[in-house]
Amino acid sequence: MNAPLSPPPPARFDIAQLRTRLADGGAAQWRSLEQLADLPHFRAFMAAEFPSVARLAQGPDRRRFLQLMAASLALAGLTGCDDEKPDGHSQEVPFVRNPEHQEPGVSYAYASVVELDGMANGVLVTCRDGRPLKIEGNPQHPWSLGGTDAFGQASVLGLYDPFRSQSVRFLDRPSTWEAFRGAMVGRIGALRAGGGRGLWVLTGAVSSPSLLAQLTAMQAAFPAMRIASHVPAGRQGAYAGSVAAFGQRLETQYRFDVADVVVSLDGDLLDPGPWQVGQSRRFIDARREAAAQGRLLALHDASSIPSLTSAKSDYVLAADPSRLIAIAERLGGGGDAGDAAEQAWTARAAAALAAARGRGIVTVGATASTALQAAAHRLNDQFGNLGRTVLHIPAVLPERAGLAELAAAIDGGEVELLLMLGVNPVYDAPVDVDFTTRLAKVAMKVHAGSHVDETALRSNWHLPLTHALESWGDARSPDGTVGLMQPTISPLYSGRSPAEILSLLTDAEPRDGRSMLAAFWQASLPGDRWPAALQQGFVAGTASPPITPVLAAGEAAASPAASSAASPALGGAGLSLIFRPDASLWDGRFAANAWLQELPRPLTKIVWDNVITIAPALAERMKIGHEDQVAVGVEGRVITGHAWIMPGQAPHAIGVTLGYGRTDAGEVADNAGYNAYAVRQSGSLWRADNVELKRVGEPTGRLATTQAHNTMEGHDLVRVQQIGAAPVGDNTAFTQPTLYDGPDESRVVHGDGVAWGMVIDLDACIGCNACVTACQSENNIAVVGPEEVRLGREMHWLRVDRYYSGAVDEPATHFQPVPCMMCEQAPCEVGCPVEATLHDHQGLNQMVYNRCVGTRACSGYCPYKVRRFNYYDYSAGAAPSLQEQRNPSVTVRSRGVMEKCTYCVQRIAEVRITTDKEERPIRDGEVVTACQGACPTRAISFGDLGDRTSAVTRARADGRNYALLGELNARPRTTYLAEFAPPAAADGVKSGGIKRSGA
Amino acid sequence: MRQLFAPGADAILRLATLGLVLAVLGGIFIAEGVSRSDYFYGVGIAPAQPVPFSHKHHSGELGIDCRYCHQQVEYLASAGIPPTWTCMTCHSQIWTGATMLAPVRESLANDTPLHWTRVNRLPDYVYYNHSIHITKGIGCSTCHGAVDQMQLTYRANAFKMEFCINCHRNPQANVRPKSEIWNMEWTPPVNQATLGPQLVAAYQIKGAQVLTDCSICHR
Repeated sequence: MNAPLSPPPPARFDIAQLRTRLADGGAAQWRSLEQLADLPHFRAFMAAEFPSVARLAQGPDRRRFLQLMAASLALAGLTGCDDEKPDGHSQEVPFVRNPEHQEPGVSYAYASVVELDGMANGVLVTCRDGRPLKIEGNPQHPWSLGGTDAFGQASVLGLYDPFRSQSVRFLDRPSTWEAFRGAMVGRIGALRAGGGRGLWVLTGAVSSPSLLAQLTAMQAAFPAMRIASHVPAGRQGAYAGSVAAFGQRLETQYRFDVADVVVSLDGDLLDPGPWQVGQSRRFIDARREAAAQGRLLALHDASSIPSLTSAKSDYVLAADPSRLIAIAERLGGGGDAGDAAEQAWTARAAAALAAARGRGIVTVGATASTALQAAAHRLNDQFGNLGRTVLHIPAVLPERAGLAELAAAIDGGEVELLLMLGVNPVYDAPVDVDFTTRLAKVAMKVHAGSHVDETALRSNWHLPLTHALESWGDARSPDGTVGLMQPTISPLYSGRSPAEILSLLTDAEPRDGRSMLAAFWQASLPGDRWPAALQQGFVAGTASPPITPVLAAGEAAASPAASSAASPALGGAGLSLIFRPDASLWDGRFAANAWLQELPRPLTKIVWDNVITIAPALAERMKIGHEDQVAVGVEGRVITGHAWIMPGQAPHAIGVTLGYGRTDAGEVADNAGYNAYAVRQSGSLWRADNVELKRVGEPTGRLATTQAHNTMEGHDLVRVQQIGAAPVGDNTAFTQPTLYDGPDESRVVHGDGVAWGMVIDLDACIGCNACVTACQSENNIAVVGPEEVRLGREMHWLRVDRYYSGAVDEPATHFQPVPCMMCEQAPCEVGCPVEATLHDHQGLNQMVYNRCVGTRACSGYCPYKVRRFNYYDYSAGAAPSLQEQRNPSVTVRSRGVMEKCTYCVQRIAEVRITTDKEERPIRDGEVVTACQGACPTRAISFGDLGDRTSAVTRARADGRNYALLGELNARPRTTYLAEFAPPAAADGVKSGGIKRSGA
Repeated sequence: MRQLFAPGADAILRLATLGLVLAVLGGIFIAEGVSRSDYFYGVGIAPAQPVPFSHKHHSGELGIDCRYCHQQVEYLASAGIPPTWTCMTCHSQIWTGATMLAPVRESLANDTPLHWTRVNRLPDYVYYNHSIHITKGIGCSTCHGAVDQMQLTYRANAFKMEFCINCHRNPQANVRPKSEIWNMEWTPPVNQATLGPQLVAAYQIKGAQVLTDCSICHR
């Protein structure tokens, strides 16, 4: 009975066979290796419209059938009931006194910042009736320019997280702030008398000017106090690189708008992290501008592990970790040549850089080795880019001692009181630091964190921290701009901010966050400037002006380390382990956030888990199958996880992600995945060489991935527009002539004349998932958990499909967000027996939840596979705090109901009513869908197709505009703009991961 | 052998069968009737309230404007329930000692809100907006009845979907001049047939086709 409910067994496929198949002109665009292999079980999975109802389809016997029918008939009337008080009345509870500037049911926004590793993105927090509900970008913010990322979008769930730490704990028992202060008074007094000797403060990345000033003041009061910082996925590497090249700690910034070519070495230009929002916007804006001028701002990327940067690059090289330095040297004119693919890539990139002297950019990821960082700086100098396309500003984050110094101090018995603010080193310290053992030696350990995590359980005191949406604070963005953080709600629990905790410890009279922040900024923002700055969410004019560093003497000539050895022959030896932060959980801090857990990772589409990625060639050589259990050994320590054959990965690289394998992160996250920190060494945080890889077991079937779900059958799904080639878009905005009577545009403009439509620019989409999270946040989309995802029951209304094209070893990667297409001739509507899905007069394909009886026929009829069915009442039983997060403008769907993207009809309705009252038409850009607003690169335009001047109409007139599966003549309102690609094989190179159309 | 059934048995059987059919049909009919009845929807039944507030006295006799208490009705989705402070603007001066008003005074003194029993209610999946209706010439009494005559407040209409959609299908039957919005005694004048379409045009009310789109009310 249970067997058919389980997902298909992991595939066993022969990679050599895949290569032959591709060479013979197999699938031009493919999502997964299973699809490429075209295995029978995959075909069966595809053919079953609802793999998830397999058990029902098997057919109950006659008796059971009758029982079910009788029961459903008897219960049918109950669906008409809703929850009321027994007397048929609910209650109305007005305020005693209405709050000022706040009206019932009206949204208002606070400008604030969300922070990741000390770096801020400007946001507007939409609140309603006192509750923060949704994060929007702050368009005025000089760094983030209105964009957001998945972390920012999901932070609102973090606020309502029922597993957040709610009270002070002493020896893991509830306690109070007063008790904590009482316990600390004597100790702090004694420490103060001793000049602070024995007092250590361990923080995460702190860029906050006010908190840094507070720490400095504290340092003055406790001269011998030490401050250390621990940032597991931080940018220490980038700083080390700039120190190696320029002798100072610098942030590097790129002027893409004046660049002609971008070369990325192991780059993270577009990858998740604190820099993603601002950097991707600037890159895509420049690329758009260049394309308008008829040229391509090409991105060349050489990296070992596929990333969003390599996925978006026009020329991609899967470079073994050991080759990266040699490639950098080769770009500068030296070094050895490498194999054919490497030669071709390097020659092309070097020629492009040389041709664009002063207009090129060489970028390098923060996770790259110091030598590679320094080499990139030198290349920029060599090609005259410094000061023109590549600018530097002083480091945003201050220099601090690390865990190593702290460990040494603990060993020396010098640490009496360790205050850990917002860090979880027991979980995320490199394994050689052996922090757990060392921590036990500290007499008094105080941990402040958002959760009672691994470190909290091993500390004497645990203090709950406030969430960013409940705190006063400030933080700098990567360009130096100071953003101001203001609370949008009173703390839900008894938390305090780090500044308040420090004040509690050191001030005679503890101060609150607001007065401390205001006092700090009083000098520079007197009078009205302080409220004005708070209102706009940042302090204007605080971006750091660029400085012109000079290459450290002698460095320019010095050859980087001798690690530019040729790749060893492929086998068990010479493998490097590459660590990366998880695209959703980052360093593990978001493990309790269910939205992020269930967010399909951009490239693997894995949810709720992490995998060990290996190259197809390595899998082939070592006879490792997809999802096999493998063990990775680093200096005697071993982690075990599922192997994932990753197209486009370098053969000698093994990829692991941080953030999983938590043991005390709450119900949501515990015991999922492997813990990569268990083999991470402090000497080399991002790479371990000479690791062993061994297949240790069969696949468990435990992995949940959405990559095969909602697969569309068709061709030409993602189109690629080569620069200078004939337009690949559809000839007209609408794809096919129609045999139906009536004027062709009859369905477009009638009713009240508004015809909503959406255009998604595939060239601008970087696959970051901000839109998916924004949609989840806006539309009350349920989280279903890994078991349900395995059955294909994820509820995301918007998915980002990832396609590969080209060779298995070095494919080109494409992203395609797929919301509801709002077909004008919607196939789904034909399928519904109860008219639960039908059109309105603005062209929206509506879904009427109350009419839906759950036949799922509409989903079967939908060629785009954008409809989601509630198999269980996923939203019911949510913790009360989670219910507070829900958007009151959107119905919470229950079991047995189909749902899908509505183009954010609640936002349309709000604007429709406002404009109707004002008796004016809806202005272009007045309705912004959640996905559109969240997108850091402005890939989505939305508006009225009936308005000939609207942004969406103009986008549709682009020669790249095409309808997905246009041949079906469903006349989708959502269309796509083809991705840009380099001119057709101008250099005669055919393979090697150059983006080209599928044919 | 003796007959088991008397000659009349056949007729009894027929009658009984017919009776059973009628009973079932009648039962369905009655159940349907009850489920659609005003009683079932609580129409005309005033629930108990913490304070027996009389709209008849305040609005009808004293002539206090609807908007004095329901402040947001003209510009927000929700009409707004008055906070304790609104009651106390007058009742801090008059009837200051009335026992009937003790809960209001306690609410103010203890800063605890009054808990009123909701009278008019729509299901969660219906998104109603007062302001657009007021703007487009639909008066209070069209839905809420003659509130100024209600000694205790009760539901004047069962807000079945039928009630809403009848008006959305045919707005000209209920639309009134803006001067009459707050008039609780307003009934369609004899020339509503000509006045209605004129007002619909003047207020730019969307056609019945658009007004009956599901997304107008459901999201």
